[in-house]
Amino acid sequence: MRQPILEDVSEHYSGAAIALHWLTAALIVANLSLGLSMVALPISPRKLQWFLVHKWIGITVFLVTCARLAWRWYRPVPPPVAMPDWQRRSAATAHALLYVLLLVIPISGWVYSSATGVQVVYLGLVPLPDLVPKNKELAAVLRITHVTLNFALFTLLCVHVAAALKHHFGDRDAVLARMLPIVKPKE
Amino acid sequence: MMVFLRALLPLLLFALAGHAGAQGVLVDKSDIRFVSKQMGVNFEGRFRNWKANVVFLPNDLARSKAEFDIDLASIDLESDDSESEIKGPLWFDTAKFPVAHFASASMKSLGADKFEVSGQLTIKGVAKNANVPISLKKDAAGNTVADGTFTVKRLDYGIGLGLWADTETVANDVVVRVHMVLSPAK
Repeated sequence: MRQPILEDVSEHYSGAAIALHWLTAALIVANLSLGLSMVALPISPRKLQWFLVHKWIGITVFLVTCARLAWRWYRPVPPPVAMPDWQRRSAATAHALLYVLLLVIPISGWVYSSATGVQVVYLGLVPLPDLVPKNKELAAVLRITHVTLNFALFTLLCVHVAAALKHHFGDRDAVLARMLPIVKPKE
Repeated sequence: MMVFLRALLPLLLFALAGHAGAQGVLVDKSDIRFVSKQMGVNFEGRFRNWKANVVFLPNDLARSKAEFDIDLASIDLESDDSESEIKGPLWFDTAKFPVAHFASASMKSLGADKFEVSGQLTIKGVAKNANVPISLKKDAAGNTVADGTFTVKRLDYGIGLGLWADTETVANDVVVRVHMVLSPAK
């Protein structure tokens, strides 16, 4: 009964696409956890350090997402696995929204940091320009924006993961398998 | 009555600040900002409330003077957390030392609209000499715009002690930028 999983995998994602996908996944899980923990810390040098790292990871997510979109354009993704139309359309919409959020959320964090008067220096090496001047009222709005966008991302990620698991264990199709780095079809 | 007066006092002080000094520092157009680094990253802040008493006579520097009282609790930083931390005993300790004071002792010309104001800066009970180079220009309304930048070593004043004393975490150098707009002398 499990045979179809492997037969459909002829259209596997490319190695680079898989690597970038799972790198993004790891970065997002790390940064969501870091973001939630750091805001709960009392003010201290450690808190400042965590904020710095949070910003580095966020900018990295932005860069990796740009790389993914460029790679997608250069090497289009395999055609969708057979599934009902509504599922295909929902998946396409969800993926597009995920890309948008992965680009918009780091930028919202960067603008927020600028509005608080704290520069972003990527990896402690590359100073990024301040996008807006220091402005407390704007910072308060941007904080809520950044947090809300992240809740949207988290919700969408849950749907994304649930759908992948449903396809894998429920429909037993290749949706998840073709994005896994190890499960390759045997010759 | 006392309550009423107490409520009125800040307004009175604010009004006084509005026309302190013969030339009148235009408080709305002026500001006192600073930039420092935390873990290599620039961060900015400013003071919302301060009073200035400036008499600037380019041709009579001996009679010129500049005095500032800065309400340290009016600091504007990146978050409310940081603001309440910096008012605490490890930093400004505003409960004991609410005001930073600068008083000029002398001014000298450095040529072509450049001057140097020397005086004493007192923060947290510590008084140190400070030399502030100033450049002057006129704005469209005929006001005199004075910009001065100088560096304060925070640890000289015991600002940021204990777990904050490490200058890798918060730099010792704090660059203070004073931007004053003075209405024309009457």
